[in-house]
Amino acid sequence: MREFEFLQPKSIDEAIAMRVEHGERLVVFNGGTDIVIQLRDRLIAPDYVMDIKKIPGLRDITFTEKDGLHIGACATMNEIGTNEAVKAHYPYLAEAALSVGSKQVRNRATSVGNIVNASPLCDTGTPLYAADALLCIEGKGGRREVPVREFITFVRRTVLQKDEIVTGIRVPYDKNLRGIFTKVARRREVDLSTICATVARSGGEWKLAFGAVAPTPVRMPKTEALLKDRAITEALIDEAAKLARTEVSPIDDVRASKEYRLDVVEVIVRRCLKELA
Amino acid sequence: MKYRVNFFLNEEPVELYVDANKTMLNVLRDELCYTGTKEGCGAGECGACTVIVDGKPINSCLVLAPEMDGMHITTVEGLAKDGELSPIQKAFVEHAALQCGFCTPGFIMSATALLMENPQPTRDEIKRAISGNLCRCTGYIRIIEAIEDVAAQYQKEGGAN
Amino acid sequence: MEELKHVGKAYERSDGIRKVTGAAEYVDDIRLPRMLYAAVKRSPHAHAKVLSVDLTEAKKLPGVKCVIDGTDYVKRVGLYLEDRFFMIKPGDTAKYMGDPVAAVAAETLEIAQKAVELIKVEYEPLPVVATALDGIKPDAPVIHPDLGSYKVAPIFYPKPGTNISHHYVLRKGDFEQACAEADEVFEHDFYIPHVQHVPLEPHVAMARMDADGKLTVWASCQSPYAVRQTLSVAFDMPLNKIRVISPTVGGGFGAKAGTTLEGIVIGLARHCQGRPVKLTYTREDEFVNSYVRQGMAAKIRTAMRKDGRILGVKNEYYWDGGAYTEYGVNITKAGGWASAGPYDIDNVWTDSYCVYTNNPVGGPYRGFGMCEIHFAIEQNIDMIAKKMGISEVEIRRINGMRPGGFTGMGEKMDVAGYQECLETVLRDIEYDKPCEPSGSPTKIRAKGIASGWKSPSMPTNAGSAAIIRMNEDGTFFLMSSGMEIGQGAATVLPQIAAEILSVSPDKITFCSGDTDHTPYEWQTVASRTTYCAGNAVKLAAEDLVDKVLDLAQIKMGAVKRDLKFEDGYVVHRIYPDRRVPISDFALGVAFPDGSGYGGPAIGVGTFTLENNINTDKKTGVAKHHPAAFWTMGVNGAEVEVDTETGHIKVLKMCSCFDAGKVINPALFAAQSEGAMVQALGTALFEELKLKDGKVLNKNFVDYKIPTADDIPELVVKYVEHAEPTGPFGARGVGEPLMVPGAPAIANAVYNAIGVRFERMPIMPEDVLRALKEKQKSAK
Repeated sequence: MREFEFLQPKSIDEAIAMRVEHGERLVVFNGGTDIVIQLRDRLIAPDYVMDIKKIPGLRDITFTEKDGLHIGACATMNEIGTNEAVKAHYPYLAEAALSVGSKQVRNRATSVGNIVNASPLCDTGTPLYAADALLCIEGKGGRREVPVREFITFVRRTVLQKDEIVTGIRVPYDKNLRGIFTKVARRREVDLSTICATVARSGGEWKLAFGAVAPTPVRMPKTEALLKDRAITEALIDEAAKLARTEVSPIDDVRASKEYRLDVVEVIVRRCLKELA
Repeated sequence: MKYRVNFFLNEEPVELYVDANKTMLNVLRDELCYTGTKEGCGAGECGACTVIVDGKPINSCLVLAPEMDGMHITTVEGLAKDGELSPIQKAFVEHAALQCGFCTPGFIMSATALLMENPQPTRDEIKRAISGNLCRCTGYIRIIEAIEDVAAQYQKEGGAN
Repeated sequence: MEELKHVGKAYERSDGIRKVTGAAEYVDDIRLPRMLYAAVKRSPHAHAKVLSVDLTEAKKLPGVKCVIDGTDYVKRVGLYLEDRFFMIKPGDTAKYMGDPVAAVAAETLEIAQKAVELIKVEYEPLPVVATALDGIKPDAPVIHPDLGSYKVAPIFYPKPGTNISHHYVLRKGDFEQACAEADEVFEHDFYIPHVQHVPLEPHVAMARMDADGKLTVWASCQSPYAVRQTLSVAFDMPLNKIRVISPTVGGGFGAKAGTTLEGIVIGLARHCQGRPVKLTYTREDEFVNSYVRQGMAAKIRTAMRKDGRILGVKNEYYWDGGAYTEYGVNITKAGGWASAGPYDIDNVWTDSYCVYTNNPVGGPYRGFGMCEIHFAIEQNIDMIAKKMGISEVEIRRINGMRPGGFTGMGEKMDVAGYQECLETVLRDIEYDKPCEPSGSPTKIRAKGIASGWKSPSMPTNAGSAAIIRMNEDGTFFLMSSGMEIGQGAATVLPQIAAEILSVSPDKITFCSGDTDHTPYEWQTVASRTTYCAGNAVKLAAEDLVDKVLDLAQIKMGAVKRDLKFEDGYVVHRIYPDRRVPISDFALGVAFPDGSGYGGPAIGVGTFTLENNINTDKKTGVAKHHPAAFWTMGVNGAEVEVDTETGHIKVLKMCSCFDAGKVINPALFAAQSEGAMVQALGTALFEELKLKDGKVLNKNFVDYKIPTADDIPELVVKYVEHAEPTGPFGARGVGEPLMVPGAPAIANAVYNAIGVRFERMPIMPEDVLRALKEKQKSAK
């Protein structure tokens, strides 16, 4: 690891000021499960590493039916996955959080870090995509909320500005929404997703979110439109599964082939539609 | 630049000046010579470097040294008290739940943390709790049985400690 | 024979407490004053001429103590074939992506790494040999043009001018004749990719050269004496000036059998007088720069008679030995030796080729070729049975080894528990019963079986020595260089001594792994430690008993043959109340006049297997017993295949082996369990993905080994048909136990979905693709 200066701002304003001051030479450090490896492998060589975990309040997870769920930026995967409100109202998100890495990693890794990293296969991406979650951002110009679907723009790229940090995630509450999280990997425990997905429905509305099938996690507008307000029959499931294949653009990599990923997308759609029918 | 950190290591207070570009694992092994904690991959994938921080198992290879400030850290060296092995350590020996031993401290820390949090885990919960620890020698079954054995003892005695 | 008191008992591991408390000291845990850290400059090309190496800038960096390149290395080294330099000289060729070209020792690891970046190397890339089958093509680039001049052990036959470093030939009987007599002849091809051992402790070595010319090496290695020998050759140093210490070893599986990074640190240490230099591999290094298990392509032709009798087999094996095959040549031979499998077949022809490629260096891996060949042999048997219309069980009953049968090399087997192992596993896996229903029409369950065997493939004169010292209080030190690498040597060897000395094993402290202080052991490989080192230990204990009884007859006024060791006493066999503590003889006997005689008590044992004669050079056929022993057994597996996602879950595995004599049942079971799970990993997950010599998955993110979540129910059994030359009848088991696991799983997968996978690992996408093809062809 190259030498760098370690910063620990005590407030959001201080953190924003540090980001503004050091710009590209600074990386924001949260759970660290990705950044430490990038530092070790010299994939990044910042002059400043800014740890945001000492900022009060960023670790909270709160829920009200009116405002929905708020996950602080520093809440860990295990805290999210074992939170009673998350388990009760967003079980698919809890499952996704607990599918990340190992128990040790989940005690450090955060969902906000997972999203800001903007990996196409981020495990907590698809439940948030399906639930139309919003990223809470603070910057020099004040606060804003950005839908997660607009936040991630490409592999490892987001709309986050140079004077901003993400303070949390807000997940609206929909008491009718039922969702299923699925992760297909080579090994059941401690593996990256070959494919991850959240399929959810709220009454006649369907929300299909898939990861590791495109440069960003994706929703499937055509398939969702096809399913909207329709009775779920074998024939419709078949049609939807085939259509879903056309809405993704996976690649071949060391973990799986494009063809396999397409097949699995189809299988997940079938299984989830049957279960949620 | 050095960073002053104050933390508790196996219940003893420690004050130290550390480099930012070192990990907790480096500090434990190289600065403090607590070499029971092992490095198997340096990337949070094998669990050999597992320590318990504030009651939770974490990979010490993924924590930057200055972050140690304020932490309560338990390593494998802190489990046996007055020459008496901890119940998990004893069970690992009795069940032959170790071979080369390199992964063993990490497993013992994961198992200890699990039983602190959940003294009566199911076999599935045990498997999940230790799936971040790799072992190439044992085939895991004896490790699982050792943990179950301790859980059964706790049940008899009415809870951990 | 008297009842055994200590052999056969499930004693706790002698190293258990040190390992669960973190007190066990591994090489990387050793911190010496003024220690320097090493880093290595490696070739980024799989095959390239090293035009020049410029060390100037690296040497200038503050904190750098020493920088070396290949010019420091004058002699080629290698265990069986001296085909490698520890570092590539300018002007020579780098032969795999990772071949060392220079190295640095510095005050900190960071400085060493920075200095490595400052070393400038010019390369001229050369065409790459990516597979063994490419390597044998007549127009393939020749990776070792000087092969003809390399020093080689006389039982290996390199072909200069080609990439073939050994062509093993076996011609027992007449395969062509067998084909003529056969009702059917089958031909099947298989491929086993490269895998890595993945010991949890990466390789590490440290060396210090003192002013008096003494070199001390601390290495995580299986074979301190073999390392010492190799270093002596490489650096032209006398053996008494090299001391190799191997403290606790964090897993080997063969990866730590040879000499790898030790050669680099010593090159540096020679220039850093008095200062220790340490090199610790990263996990990424471990995957690329230690050893890997060779890839292998197999072709098996089988001549079958209608009644299920195998008349003959003809095997072709092409081993992807990688850049250096100093060890690979012997794996090629071992594969050839065992190529009939545990079957009694009259006509066996085998050609086994070790081929240089520009892949990472192949080396010994638990099974030493057996896991690879049996993945082919055991699927082949099932395939043939199916086509002949007999059951996969029956074909094994008909052809499986029995006492009085003959191995592929023509050795007569006096002892062979194969058939019992088969029946035991069939019972434990309930082979005749259908599986419990999975509860889902898309999750299909089935069972499979497979066999395996292995013999040590070691130099016929590979020796072992042991020394036992009695202390004044009747406790003992047992000194042997049979290494504890996790398998339990430090528990089992004292148990063997304890049996002879008739004391509890906790009275015996095991000392190992120091070439200056513990006696010679050829290597801790070949599943030979319990057998070879065990024999030496037994002889040493017997020697000590013999010497003490010589003294006891003086002191006790009895005839030696009437005296014995019993629970810490020398006891009269006829008048058992006449007894003297053994400790009274620790320093000899003392007479009333104050004089003494015959102490201190020490026992010495040495073991070299007698009549272990090489095979016939032309035909490969045995003249006597080229193999010390054959260990055989059977695995059963039950799997569940998800036909929608292609995932395979192994539900249950059963193992039964003929161990001869199990010294410690708990450790035997532990070895069996670990072996099955390691085999499961290779069957379902593990492959070192290579592209033109580049390793694509050199980390745990993309090279997956099984976790606790992946393990099936494990059932372990054994039978005991004593090995005539083994200590208490024991034969080695550590490696053989892993051999049948992968083919048993593959056979179960076939029985579930009717698809045959001729290649490991069987990944979900392979399953899905195969099922699709099957569907297509059914239409």
